[in-house]
Amino acid sequence: MTDGKYRMQWDKFVGSIDRRHFLVTSLAAGVATLTPRFAHAEAERFRLGLILSATGPGSNYCESAIQAVTYGVAELNKRGGLLGKYPIELIFRDEQSKPEAAAREARDLIDRQKVHAVIGTWSSASALAVQEIAYEQKVLHISACGNSSQLIAENYSPYTFLVTPNSQMESAAIAVTLAQMAKDKNWKRFVTIGQDYEWGRAQQKGFIEVFTQRTPGVELTKEFWFKLGETNFAPYIAAIMAAQPDFCFGAMSAKDSATFMLQAKANGMFRKVVYPGGLITVADMQQQTKTLERGLIGVTRAPFFALLNEPVMQRYIKLHQENNGPKTYPTDWACMHLDALYAIEQAAKKSGQIDSESLRKALTGATIDTCRGQAAFAECSNQLAIPAGFVGTITDTPDYPFPIYDLKTLVRVDAKEVERSCAELEAVRKKRA
Amino acid sequence: MPLDLNFIMIQLLAGLSRAMVLFLLSAGLSLIFGVMNILNFAHATFWLLGGYITYTVFESLGGEGMGTLAAAIAITSVGMFVLGCIIERVLIRRMYHRELPEQLLLTFALVLILGDLIKLIWGTADRQIVLAIEPMEMLDTFVNPYYFVIIGIGVVAGLAMWGFFRFTRYGHIVRAAVYSRDMVNALGIPISWIYAGVFGLGIGFAGFAAGVCLPLMPVALGMDTDIIIQCFAVVVIGGFGSIAGTFIASIIVGTVYAFSILIWPDGALAMIYLIVIAVLVFRPWGLLGTELRT
Repeated sequence: MTDGKYRMQWDKFVGSIDRRHFLVTSLAAGVATLTPRFAHAEAERFRLGLILSATGPGSNYCESAIQAVTYGVAELNKRGGLLGKYPIELIFRDEQSKPEAAAREARDLIDRQKVHAVIGTWSSASALAVQEIAYEQKVLHISACGNSSQLIAENYSPYTFLVTPNSQMESAAIAVTLAQMAKDKNWKRFVTIGQDYEWGRAQQKGFIEVFTQRTPGVELTKEFWFKLGETNFAPYIAAIMAAQPDFCFGAMSAKDSATFMLQAKANGMFRKVVYPGGLITVADMQQQTKTLERGLIGVTRAPFFALLNEPVMQRYIKLHQENNGPKTYPTDWACMHLDALYAIEQAAKKSGQIDSESLRKALTGATIDTCRGQAAFAECSNQLAIPAGFVGTITDTPDYPFPIYDLKTLVRVDAKEVERSCAELEAVRKKRA
Repeated sequence: MPLDLNFIMIQLLAGLSRAMVLFLLSAGLSLIFGVMNILNFAHATFWLLGGYITYTVFESLGGEGMGTLAAAIAITSVGMFVLGCIIERVLIRRMYHRELPEQLLLTFALVLILGDLIKLIWGTADRQIVLAIEPMEMLDTFVNPYYFVIIGIGVVAGLAMWGFFRFTRYGHIVRAAVYSRDMVNALGIPISWIYAGVFGLGIGFAGFAAGVCLPLMPVALGMDTDIIIQCFAVVVIGGFGSIAGTFIASIIVGTVYAFSILIWPDGALAMIYLIVIAVLVFRPWGLLGTELRT
């Protein structure tokens, strides 16, 4: 879906809210909420908290994820809910892309709303904050976007599971691909630019560790950090071009990445400096159809177009199209959040229970079906062994109304190539302790 | 890192473009405080609202070309001027004899109300105008030609404001009102309408600034609270009420920030606030501000 279509949909939605519509919808929602209570007075409900960014720098990624979980829950509830008898009650909270907001909402969801599980967040810093609360309250927490490697290493908690590649895996996937490229192109110097917060720092650090190990002759000459939500990159772009690097590694995502790429393009940066490795997801491809620079090399986590043979992905696409129209496609964020939701369903089936502790135990070390194939959670970290990243080159295609990664050159880096062993993770934890 | 003259010039250009964005944003804030003694914490939120309105007008006029953009900016600026006059008459005029914390509370309430209004009308997506402009090759590198447009607009807007206050009757009245409201009133000049006009002008200028910036950067929910801090930094350095001071301070802030990123990226923001601290300690009324106000 293009940027214009997104806006049209949203504008249509907002524009359609008038007083009468609001009253009728509120009344209908009230009736809908009360009806199941009377109809299934004794049925226990599974209360699921969803914390994502409806506002803030991450909101352009989260919009599709929020929508996906909503229609995923509706699909599960049509089948009676978890185990066919526990309807799911979804409670959404806006993280605002701020850890303090995420922590406040997580605490409220757990303490007051008594949720059985929490899915979230967008920001890695927020995920770390929610992880602490989930651990303290012994509630299952699944992160499908926030992916700081600290979640599974230094800060490991048996209650937090990652269905997204962690930042160490993801940055290593880029580093492996770029190291080969650096050798082929005889690159000598590079700079980095990143969002100055947990994920940006972790992504850049992880990249440098693996990249410099594989290409010791290539020198990092400058690091640029900008605050989350930056909108004017002019001085950064000029400084990057002044540094005359062979390439610039970008540790940024979501709106900041979109703004940076747009301004870098307008400043001709891509004509002077190679910019590989940024997180360019299906959401970016759909939202920046007109402006996204063709030929850019980027990484993403669960691109539907590279996973069309996976039965779960086929199911997600069908589900998405039933809710959004025939020629629409789910973003990585939609797919990974559906993976988180259906992981809970699979855990419930395995344990025959819906309480947080039983679900946690069922997921620990479990192999589940995902849109990226069958994968197992590592018992020592709760990291799902899904691909670490899909690295590719942006190109147009007649198959979709937006650009995708060139399937001929797309590199899929599997978890086993880059993930840390349990012994290495233990060493990190001991070091920290 | 090789630092030749070409790259210094390009960095200067980037810094000046950032400076002009800051000037266009801060000028209205400085004007309102300088004349009316009202610290409008919602100024950047009005700027944000202006950005969303400009985007909508631009799209409804066809969504292409500089001419359409100019028309959208003009329509938005007039609309924002009217909105500013109405808000002054309805709300702000009740604050003239109140303490600063009360003014801040009222204008902060406006930040929240306008923010929610924007969310309700436009949703959470960012808005940016993408003009079909190709990068321009100069000094062995590329630059965005819109930098020159924004620098030019900043300089012309600064000169126009200066000329307005210096050479027009209305400008003289406004300047007189800075020093003595009572004397202006005693001369039979309706000071309340002057104030409404000044507030409207400040808000209209915010709308104008937002439109001019749209091809360079997006407008997004939450940007206002970040940007207002930078505006305050500019106005504190330049001196509240001084358009020339605001202009010079914008250039200082924009270029210092740009060169800090080139030389010491981690300390770029800290450098700006070090300047603010230095001004507050050694010249609290700012570079070209004045202590005199009755």
